[in-house]
Amino acid sequence: MIIKARSRKIASIPTASMGDIAFLIIIFFMTSTVFTRDKGLKMLLPEKTEKIDIVKIKPENIVTIMINPEGALKVKATGLGDGLDLSVQQYNEVRKVIQQKLLERDTLLVVSLRASKDSQYKNMIAVLDQIKMSRVTAADGRELRANKISLIPTTEE
Amino acid sequence: MRKSLVRRPAQTPDIPTASTADVAFLLILFFMVTTVFRATSLHLKISLPKAQATERILIRRNLANLWLEAGGKVYIDDAVVPMELLNAKMAAKIAENPELVTILKIDEGTNYGIVDQMLDQLKEARAFKITFATEFRT
Repeated sequence: MIIKARSRKIASIPTASMGDIAFLIIIFFMTSTVFTRDKGLKMLLPEKTEKIDIVKIKPENIVTIMINPEGALKVKATGLGDGLDLSVQQYNEVRKVIQQKLLERDTLLVVSLRASKDSQYKNMIAVLDQIKMSRVTAADGRELRANKISLIPTTEE
Repeated sequence: MRKSLVRRPAQTPDIPTASTADVAFLLILFFMVTTVFRATSLHLKISLPKAQATERILIRRNLANLWLEAGGKVYIDDAVVPMELLNAKMAAKIAENPELVTILKIDEGTNYGIVDQMLDQLKEARAFKITFATEFRT
């Protein structure tokens, strides 16, 4: 056996793939970053007028939803008799009423949301959510939704 | 030493790749340093209400943020504004940009009376395009 003095090897770490790794990191973070987007329920406020405009709406075109300070609802519409009393857990009934009314009244429907000034904002939003969600397809294929929503505050006597 | 007359074999051309790592890291560092996160040092305690019909707001410009705490404190774009001055503040913004959409970030426990006061101020300022900020409900 020949014992030979080994020639010294130069130790080196391969750096050829470093660039690939760095770009991989860049691309990973670029694709996985999620920017916070604002989200919510869109509304269009009405013009504020000094004189009270009297717009006559036929009573059968109106669905009135009242919210009391406890969060209970009263839904009034023609065909509902004395009105429908709903507790906080029954909010999804609102949608059914509006959907049915939409089919009857088409685009003429106006939803009047009367929240008490002492009621909580989250209840008002929960009802607004129900109104926004009520969409039905009419017999001729058009999609109907409750577009006319009026927000009216009420005070407790 | 004898000079070699033999022609050298043609060299294979190559692009030096030793510095691509440096370039990539430079890019990472550049974006890390220049990225500015929105300063949310307001310490607002606002929990937004949840709604299933929540829509994403696709526009990124023409937005004004309006916060309302349960106690009735109003903030416009990070500054406290008294309720009575809201209308003047918003009117100035609307004059600057009539297409402005106001995002109302209102605490879910707020009394509707206070919300109504705010909506009234917005109507006066002619800021008609609004959005009630909500969270997705799953």
